[in-house]
Amino acid sequence: MATAKLIHDPYNLIITGVGGQGNVLASRMLGNVLTSQGLWVTIGETFGASQRGGSVMSHLRVSADGSWSPQIPAGKAHMVLALEPLEALRVLVKYGNPGAKAIVNDRPILPVAAIAGKTDYPSTEELEGTLARLTAQRWSIPATERAMELGASIFANIIMIGALAATGDLPVSREGFEAELLRALGPAKVATNLEAFDLGAAMVRR
Amino acid sequence: MITRGPRQLLAEVQQPGLCIGCGSCVELCPYFRSHGGKTVMLHDCDLPEGRCHAWCPKTELDLEGLAQELWDAPYSAQGMGPHLAVVAAKAGPRLEAGSYQAGGTVSALVCAALEQGLVQGAILTGGRGLDTAPTLAQTPEEVTACAGSKFTAAPTLAALNQAQAQGCGPLAVVATPCQSAALAQRRAKPWPQRGAAGPAELVIGLFCNWSLDPQGLARFLAQRVELASIRSMDIPPPPAGVLQVETTDGSLEIPLDEIRDLIPPACAMCPDMTSEWADLSVGMYEGRPGWNTLVVRNEKARTLTEAAVEAGWLVVEEFPVANKEHLVHAAQGKRSRGLGAALAQGLLGVSGEDQPKALRVSPELYQAVESGEVA
Amino acid sequence: MEGQRQTMMGNQAITQGALEAGVRVAAGYPGTPSSEIIQNLAGAADEHGLYVEWSINEKVSLEVAAAASLAGLRSLCAMKQNGVNVASDFLLHLAGSGIRAGMVLVHCDDPGALSSVNEGESRHFARMLELPLLEPSDFQEAKDMTKWAFELSEEISNVVMLRSVTRLSHASGGVVPGTIPQAQGKAHFDHHGTLLDKGHGPVSSSPVVYKHRLQQEKLKRAVELFEDSPFNSYTGPEAPELLVITSSICNLYVKEALALLDASGRVGVLKLGTTWPLPPKLLQHNLGRCGQVLVVEEVIPFLEENVKIAAAEMAGEIGAKRFFGKRDGTIPAQGELNPDIVLGALADILNLPYQARPPEYDLLAQEAAPQATQDRDLAFCPGCPHRASFWSLKGALALDARDGFICGDIGCYSLAMRPTGYGMLKTLLAMGSGAGMASGFGQLGRFGMDQPVMAVSGDSTFYHAVIPALINAVHQKSPMSLVVLDNSGTAMTGFQPHPGTEANALGQPVPPVDIEAICRSLGAEVTVCDPFDLEATQAAALALLADQSTAKVLILRQLCALSPQRKGTKPYDVQVDPEKCLGDQCGCNRLCTRVFGCPGLAWEKQSGKARIDEVICAGCGVCASVCPQGAIIKSERA
Repeated sequence: MATAKLIHDPYNLIITGVGGQGNVLASRMLGNVLTSQGLWVTIGETFGASQRGGSVMSHLRVSADGSWSPQIPAGKAHMVLALEPLEALRVLVKYGNPGAKAIVNDRPILPVAAIAGKTDYPSTEELEGTLARLTAQRWSIPATERAMELGASIFANIIMIGALAATGDLPVSREGFEAELLRALGPAKVATNLEAFDLGAAMVRR
Repeated sequence: MITRGPRQLLAEVQQPGLCIGCGSCVELCPYFRSHGGKTVMLHDCDLPEGRCHAWCPKTELDLEGLAQELWDAPYSAQGMGPHLAVVAAKAGPRLEAGSYQAGGTVSALVCAALEQGLVQGAILTGGRGLDTAPTLAQTPEEVTACAGSKFTAAPTLAALNQAQAQGCGPLAVVATPCQSAALAQRRAKPWPQRGAAGPAELVIGLFCNWSLDPQGLARFLAQRVELASIRSMDIPPPPAGVLQVETTDGSLEIPLDEIRDLIPPACAMCPDMTSEWADLSVGMYEGRPGWNTLVVRNEKARTLTEAAVEAGWLVVEEFPVANKEHLVHAAQGKRSRGLGAALAQGLLGVSGEDQPKALRVSPELYQAVESGEVA
Repeated sequence: MEGQRQTMMGNQAITQGALEAGVRVAAGYPGTPSSEIIQNLAGAADEHGLYVEWSINEKVSLEVAAAASLAGLRSLCAMKQNGVNVASDFLLHLAGSGIRAGMVLVHCDDPGALSSVNEGESRHFARMLELPLLEPSDFQEAKDMTKWAFELSEEISNVVMLRSVTRLSHASGGVVPGTIPQAQGKAHFDHHGTLLDKGHGPVSSSPVVYKHRLQQEKLKRAVELFEDSPFNSYTGPEAPELLVITSSICNLYVKEALALLDASGRVGVLKLGTTWPLPPKLLQHNLGRCGQVLVVEEVIPFLEENVKIAAAEMAGEIGAKRFFGKRDGTIPAQGELNPDIVLGALADILNLPYQARPPEYDLLAQEAAPQATQDRDLAFCPGCPHRASFWSLKGALALDARDGFICGDIGCYSLAMRPTGYGMLKTLLAMGSGAGMASGFGQLGRFGMDQPVMAVSGDSTFYHAVIPALINAVHQKSPMSLVVLDNSGTAMTGFQPHPGTEANALGQPVPPVDIEAICRSLGAEVTVCDPFDLEATQAAALALLADQSTAKVLILRQLCALSPQRKGTKPYDVQVDPEKCLGDQCGCNRLCTRVFGCPGLAWEKQSGKARIDEVICAGCGVCASVCPQGAIIKSERA
């Protein structure tokens, strides 16, 4: 199989969010789509305790030749796919660089300390400003809002993948993703998820 | 008027052991609860001010300020607080004989107040022996079911808070001097925006020299009798000097000297023997078994007393001058001891000053206490 | 999908290797990061004719696997690092007696304690018990090495230990799967030989010295095989400036660091897959390449010490070496490693400058850091019964007012040591140790201790290690109370069945063993409560505290919010009536958001009212009981 050409090798993608948002599933589906292109994908993720409301990151290394460390080195992320804005910031502070891009779901999930009033969640303006300074290119999208319209917040993951595909950074095609949906979720769920994928893609292409 | 919050309440009252478990701060909010005679904070509350602190009888009890506000008169170190009359009283024929201890005056007054429609219910201390609990009584039968002396303070005001939250209408409270002081705080410091909790319509105060720590008394008695067998307790008038414990197996007399250690430290700094902040005060009548001393303090109290007599709930007679002098002497004695103890512990302050104090008095009275003139 | 490269999780690769080796029996006890191995094998059981079980604890799981091996079936046992401690008594004796069909113990360590309350090193058991140790360094190797481990096990008639780590087990990478053979062979335990006949006699580590000698001889055979093993490899120049010796996932960190430093021309890397016993010839050849050696491994210096011993033994041939590693502090001996730590060490040794990104960007990141530093403390899930349980236990201990405390245990409820569980746990150590320690604290009344003591345990933990502690407390008349937080499954690790569930790992119906009946049979008084009934739970806990004459048990039973039965269901619609909500005023002061702290609640600063976040709320309705104003309204969903 001809291996797709990458703009960086390894291409370093971080999917980030909060425990329970489903980014583990998102990273695996994305990994499978890219593997089917003949690429090597290494995914590092933490779960278990971090499922319980903590910050959750998946590191995806996409390469034409071999496995890489499941932990991306500091300052080396090419793309951050953030299911939560504060988590986008957290990741960029450590892994960002002048060329980094980010796709950010605009819906905050308050840390329990913020719910308790012990800390303040940064304002949207503050966050947007900082994210802009730390990225070369950035898309802020209402993924959760659209997902709820589709029936469940979990579709935000798929919307984000659609958005990532539309950036053209990685060889993620609609057909490739459709095949993975069929494989991973079965035929009944393909249509709605593909709708979510298209929604996400449209938000980046626009 | 100085008001602080729950953390200060803990620091100023709970931790130094001044809490007498009156229940004033309990059930106003989800934070304070009473269990086994102790008031506890379930969760931390960080409000800078709250009713818990404002209404506590052991924080900022500004005697001078309260007197000006509630009596429109200065606080006097003399006598037994303001009153219109002192009479001998006992229950009248309307109250079923044998259903009350001593004179039955308290039960009679509560029944009369209910009948008059002055109140919709009364918060009394029910239960037997050690197992006491504040109770809402709304009928004469419920009132007499609670009759009998108790020697441990109960979280009576918690029941008031609960009854008010349930929308029970105007209520009477039968209160010890410290509870009367807590109710005076409410009359002087209303928080109208916070729902139903607030002052009581009628406060029937009790004479009190001290009470006993409930958990301490339980541990003490457990070494001597089966706790469940205790039916009632009484301290007969001097010179008996004993606590009589009636059990299903007979009676037991415990010299008062043996239980003095069980008196909470807060009682030592209490300046009030006759519940001077109440509308009426009731106590024993030394030397005349079956009768009470009744202090009628204001017009509301006088009207109620007259109605109670008229309706046959209460019988009154003249109170001998010599007995009144003796009572005044005893009340002054407790006040001077209490203020002196508060001063010695650094808990006495002058009205209007900044430092947190449990008790406040006018500058003149403070000086008198300091120079030993009151003692 | 044989032959085509797939992206597989490390644990899936280990599963695949075991299947390719023709494993027939697998057993384990759930523990992150090992759980998926048994889970995946259970999933493959039907197709490939396996027996797979979640055993009551690690020791029993090893015994179950050993039985299969002795009956001629290849078997695998999987557990997390501290599980090996639990199984080690049996493992010591099994190592002495030896096994028959191939038997592999997969133990997954958790450097950095990402999902543990320890970062214990199970590698030391290999040296202590004299068993061979393999450490795969990537995903393909995880599969290949697992398969080979069975062959090695049969070659030396002993258990082979295969150690993974979280960053391998729970990471995914490319693996080319091979062929899974047809299941064959009848199980039969041959016991007619003599005690000295390891292959056919009764199985025992006796006579001890004789069998110990046999064990050590076999281990020498393993070393011979290790000398030429493809799992040990050298990459780099013939005569490098620095030799890096590494194992496990650290190999990928070294690869990354050398790439970033562009130092592959100066540094040689000896990647070892067979880390105990070390093959001396291979070591001698590679140590001879240069005078400086850096050992990169997790967590404590196991490889480093063994390399140093070997280097001392061959000092005459290779000369003195300068060693870098954990002993000299070049690399930390606690926490997990990553490419950056390894890179830092290499840059120091090689005196190479390195900058991950331009300083201007670093400055921007530093400026942004304060906004991003607020940590997300772990919290019980929305709808979690533990939050309700600890709320009531907190209330009961406060009302009791004798400075009572709770001894914790291992499971989701361990989080109750943190704010999400109101900081209620005051001890948190090993599986089952909450009840055991409470049993001990309970005896201290005779020395003046007047604090009541409680222990909590999950349902799975109860079976695993609490039962002996409870028997001890009952028998020794220790006035403690045990609260069993029964959420009906091994929730922390992903809902594996346990002896209390009605189906086993294979989904077959099995008789559930009732916790309540066990406790009663021991003579403990038992109360059962639904923790969502806050009032009843607090009253039950208070009653336990009031009478501590004997050991008592309170079972708080409510399904985990993530359980297959509850997940995605929302029993109640929950709403806040803003008219009634007191907010931060006296009388409430934000009890629901500030104190109760369910993530499904939100605080609206502008309006000063609480709100339900319907995206997060699981609809358990407990907050409605918490609200003092009746402002949180739950209504049953149609």
